[in-house]
Amino acid sequence: MSRCAIVGGGLGGFVAYATLRHGGLEPGEIAVFDPDPDPLGAWLPRAAAIRQRRMRSESDGHCHPRSFPGLAPRETYRTGNLAPLVATICNRYRPTVGDFVRHVEELRDRTGWDESVVPCRVGAVRAERGGFAVDGHGTFRHVLVATGHPGLAVPEELRGDPRAVHAYEQHGYASRVAVVGAGMAAATEWLNALAAGAEVVSVRRREPARRPLNLPRPLFSKRGLAAFHRSPAADRVELLTTLLEPSYPPGQVWDAPLAAAAGEGRFRVAASVDGEEQIVCATGFRRGFHHDPLLRRLVEEHGLETEGRWLVLAPDGAVPALADAERTLAVAGVAAQWAYPAADTLVGMKYVARRFLHRVRSCPTR
Amino acid sequence: MSYTLRGRLESRLAASVLPFLAACILALALSAWWPLELAGAMVAIGIALDVLVYHRLLQFQPAWLSVPLGVAELALTMAVVRLAGVEAPLEPALWFFACSWVVALLLGQAGLPALRLSYAEDGGELGRGGAALSLAAPVALVGVVAVALAGQPPTLRLAAGVHEGPLVIDHPLTLVGRPGTVVRGGIVVRADDVTLRDLHVVGGEDGIDVDEADGVVIDRVTVSGVTLDAIRIRRSSATVRDCTILAGSAPHVQGIDISFSAHRTMSLVDGCTVLGGQEGIVTHSAEVVVRDNRVVGTSLRAITMTEMSMGAIEDNEVRSARGVGIYCGDYSHCEIEDNHVIGTTPDRDSDDPSRGGYAIQSHFHAVATVDGNRLEDNARELGGFAGGSFGEH
Repeated sequence: MSRCAIVGGGLGGFVAYATLRHGGLEPGEIAVFDPDPDPLGAWLPRAAAIRQRRMRSESDGHCHPRSFPGLAPRETYRTGNLAPLVATICNRYRPTVGDFVRHVEELRDRTGWDESVVPCRVGAVRAERGGFAVDGHGTFRHVLVATGHPGLAVPEELRGDPRAVHAYEQHGYASRVAVVGAGMAAATEWLNALAAGAEVVSVRRREPARRPLNLPRPLFSKRGLAAFHRSPAADRVELLTTLLEPSYPPGQVWDAPLAAAAGEGRFRVAASVDGEEQIVCATGFRRGFHHDPLLRRLVEEHGLETEGRWLVLAPDGAVPALADAERTLAVAGVAAQWAYPAADTLVGMKYVARRFLHRVRSCPTR
Repeated sequence: MSYTLRGRLESRLAASVLPFLAACILALALSAWWPLELAGAMVAIGIALDVLVYHRLLQFQPAWLSVPLGVAELALTMAVVRLAGVEAPLEPALWFFACSWVVALLLGQAGLPALRLSYAEDGGELGRGGAALSLAAPVALVGVVAVALAGQPPTLRLAAGVHEGPLVIDHPLTLVGRPGTVVRGGIVVRADDVTLRDLHVVGGEDGIDVDEADGVVIDRVTVSGVTLDAIRIRRSSATVRDCTILAGSAPHVQGIDISFSAHRTMSLVDGCTVLGGQEGIVTHSAEVVVRDNRVVGTSLRAITMTEMSMGAIEDNEVRSARGVGIYCGDYSHCEIEDNHVIGTTPDRDSDDPSRGGYAIQSHFHAVATVDGNRLEDNARELGGFAGGSFGEH
């Protein structure tokens, strides 16, 4: 009864774990449920599939509980090179995937993560008196559900098409490639396929937004969040729908190769697929809590409030009907967008984790 | 970072704590108010900019923007300090600002995010600590003002009418007159931190005699009818502001004489009018800035800086001096800039060639740096004698 449970051992769960450890909880007080003990087990293959070399996040896109020092000052300290520090001052620092992986592995060792991982998949969490039953593993007073994205999204019309592959699955490139989608993964795939010598057709329904991060920067802090949290449910749904449309960063790194390829007739935009040899679906993930079996069951069994495809949460990521002074059920990662629109970013994961820690600490019986 | 307004203010206050403490220590160590006044101006301008400008214009503030914003805040702070008449020496003031800025930068970018987990996502807000700071700031302000007021010399107000002198002041005091207040026979100052304001001093050998005193302020005082010096300052540091000296044509009368004070902090003579007398404003072995004064009709020299004095003579109007307008003599170093010297005439009673009606003169190994002076209708313009020399910026 005295322990915390984190359901899901991906990056969201890992960030929460590191935060709880920072807050004074011992590894024995936290149980992390996931079949894969590697916190990068879900994320890294996807990054590898799109040949991602640098993170979209900046210096503070890390899993340490404290924002400072971020990855840029740490890199400067490690290498003696001031360039990362200068770059981060100008918001131009993007850590490499290698640096990020190293940082996660270091933190994994330091926090005792492996001591807390229970290798199993949790199918259900149920509210009980004074806590939550976690699928036969006991009752926990505080539970954080961080199950991550509920599977890859493939357009209905391309399901079963032998030419189609999802961007986040391992793949090579044919000589004529259609890339469906217009977000960060799609932009990465345009450049990958062009670099592999392919002719690329970008299939998109709308022009992507160009911004450095997934969302406008004020929405990462209370400045933008306060208005977001105040807005009525219908407005919030509309705002989330708009904000979560595809985007990728501005800059010549992206534009120059595309312009050069367009000049050579190797890159064009189209509204639909048209006989290309290969179709790369850079269409991200399935959206909505109902695609996640655990969350769907939680909602159905407890009659939780939902709005559109979102689970309605308190501003701190807790489920209002299942959180009070003595117990907490909170949600982290993409399913927490109702509380924090950028919940599926590292900063968003920390946002929920810090508030979860606050609830755990405030609980009179922990 | 995207600050909320509260976050900006709380972060600003947090960043002000160390500079404020440093200012308190400096103020105590130097026995001067300028560090606190400077820190106060710095914080006030920062808060005003936070509320009126930054919060409205900057949805997101990247780290690099701290540099241009810091420069703008520095310029505004120095302008306000100057306009408010805060007597903060330039170089220490710049250092104080720069160090405070670095502290604020380190605190905002590293210290506070390290201390408070949710600092960035809370838009710079500091939770209970911020609320405590918001309460502590006005308390600290009231405390400083209270201490400042408690430490101020008492004020004695003289009624309108004639008060027989000489008045001898031997403890810190602010002596203030009203329209029609006249002190006959002079005022003698023998204590630090004495302020004389809005007085008319008539008669006596010396109108105001200051000796062995620091921090003396002589403000909006008129002196007339004396037989030696209208204002005589020895071994002291003083600020003489907006005074009027009616020296007349008595043979030995001088306007303002600041002497033997090189071991004291710099004195200032600013905005005074001296009519007549032998020498209008004269310094011997002293560090003085003579600025924005009007000296008319002197019989020996209008403004004199001599006997290893050091200082600036700037933006003064010197009119109808006999012999010499502005004089830098006897190993002194004088920066003579942007003065207007008009109608200096030769001294017909003297056969000394240096009395030949020079607008500006450097004498006996003195070094006068001249720049931007307007010289009109003088018998002669620049004259160097006995090893005195001129330089230009």
